[in-house]
Amino acid sequence: MVRAVLAGDVERYAELVGRYRDRYARYAARMLGSVDAAEDAVQDAFIRAYDQLAQCRDPDNFAGWFFLILRNRCFAERRRAARIGPMLDVETQPIAAPEQPDGVMETKERVRALQEALLQLTPDQREVFVLKHIEGLSYEEIAARIGGSVPSLKMRMHRAYDRLRERLKNRT
Amino acid sequence: MTGYDPLVKRLLDGELALAELPPELQAEGAEALRLLAVTDRLPVTLPAALDARVMEAVRARAASPSRRVLRWIAEPRELRLRVRPWVLGAGLAAAALVLLLRAPGARVSVREPGATAARAAAPERVFVRFELYAPAAKQVGLAGTFNQWDQAATPLVRAAKAGVWTVTLALPAGQHQYAFVVDGRRWVTDPAAPAVDDGFGRRNSVIAVGGTGARAL
Amino acid sequence: MTRLAPVLLLLLAGSLAAQESTTARLNRRVPPGVAAAVRALADSAAARGLPTDPLVDKAIEGSAKGVDPERVVAAVRLVFTQLDAAAAGIRVGGVVIPDRETIEAGAFALAAGMTGQQISELVKLSITPYTPAATLRVAGTLTALGVPASQTVALVRETIRNGRASADLLVLPGRVQAQMARGESPAQAAAGLTRAAAARAGAPGQARPKGPENSRRP
Repeated sequence: MVRAVLAGDVERYAELVGRYRDRYARYAARMLGSVDAAEDAVQDAFIRAYDQLAQCRDPDNFAGWFFLILRNRCFAERRRAARIGPMLDVETQPIAAPEQPDGVMETKERVRALQEALLQLTPDQREVFVLKHIEGLSYEEIAARIGGSVPSLKMRMHRAYDRLRERLKNRT
Repeated sequence: MTGYDPLVKRLLDGELALAELPPELQAEGAEALRLLAVTDRLPVTLPAALDARVMEAVRARAASPSRRVLRWIAEPRELRLRVRPWVLGAGLAAAALVLLLRAPGARVSVREPGATAARAAAPERVFVRFELYAPAAKQVGLAGTFNQWDQAATPLVRAAKAGVWTVTLALPAGQHQYAFVVDGRRWVTDPAAPAVDDGFGRRNSVIAVGGTGARAL
Repeated sequence: MTRLAPVLLLLLAGSLAAQESTTARLNRRVPPGVAAAVRALADSAAARGLPTDPLVDKAIEGSAKGVDPERVVAAVRLVFTQLDAAAAGIRVGGVVIPDRETIEAGAFALAAGMTGQQISELVKLSITPYTPAATLRVAGTLTALGVPASQTVALVRETIRNGRASADLLVLPGRVQAQMARGESPAQAAAGLTRAAAARAGAPGQARPKGPENSRRP
């Protein structure tokens, strides 16, 4: 499909967009703190990906390459992330979490608190957290996607755990 | 404020089970898991309009590949300048000024590299071409620090390429903030320019216009 | 009376030119309440040696954007604070009486997310042919692109230390942008450029720019 677009068939790009538009939507939304911001980021990333399509080294792995462009765009948003933007709408349903030990119904407030605390992490820390605990990747998979060694990613994550604990404790 | 015990962190990483923690860490482990449990993992779906917007932009680019950023940076002989402030550094600004001088009625003073002498009496101005792709717009204006933010004073006109609006202005050297105004009410920044908070909950695009002297940028 | 009017205008134009144009600009484009508040802030600014145009510009911008008067005044106050903090940082950096251009550049860097301390550091780094104003503008632009502020300072430092002409600094934002287009994060792009600049340190024929010497690329 990528090759078809490169050869000049622009309309085929719509298929790429359709296929990948939601794949990283959650990542963008959690990194940036709102679905609106994610929409902007994903849109920009697709346009930029089109511009740079000739530089895509591995046309068969458009997804991975596109992810890097989106990631770059999310990091560029850092300054906006400092203010807590429109919060994601959260249902008062138990969140799917296999390790939830006592089956307590989590409140909207706690989910919101965690998302706010996430936005206060550094983008690097937030990203490891999102990729591991929201996207469900292993450290090895994360390392393959964004680079870095597994030990350094773990260190980053562990710092994130501490900072999250700190922030959420302060809220009581 | 102490952080979590390393074993608890490994629990969070999924390498250990709660039961494997020593008794004195059980409470901390459970607390940590509760924290993690409220992570919002619901999938996110983006509105369908996104596809249409992307394809509009993509079709425009297909029609004019010469506007690609990297190609511009690599081959500055391109006559059209998309707004790229940082590229208007010393060397390229010289090329740009030379090109623009050919325009009839240009009022740009050029400083040759290496020239000494005091600054020219008249402020240096550089012609900068602004472009915006907005096919659905009925009118587009440009507002910025250089025109008192009066978008009516600087309307864009449709360019040859479908959906593209453009205007060329002579800007004095220095830094300017600006934004496009679509249909009189929608404020749009330049997607590729650096942007700063405007203090009103929006962003302004920034362009730095340079000469070739020591006071460039 | 009509014969006096042109004379009065001339007088005004002559001695009160600056104040008058500010007032005129405000009156034409800004609601009276906002105009009064901005004039007061402008007077304070002038008394402290700060440029006043940015305050007026921000007020005009807010009104043009249809923002509530209260919010406009708040934004103008913020600009004042940024100008003041920038001037202070620049003075700490060694420039006793900062000029208008440098203060505005410093305020821009602050607005982009840098700290007063970083402003001071950047000013200290700015030896000929690198002017503090240009350094601050480049730093602000880099930070506005998403480069972490501390990395911006490092990149600027290495570029000035190992560069040959002011152009080396001015092209930095474009080069970061080019790397970002290849998929790097702003931080990564900046780190790469910093390493590249540092690597030039050992190159033969490398002259450190110092004093009034004006080293330019041939």
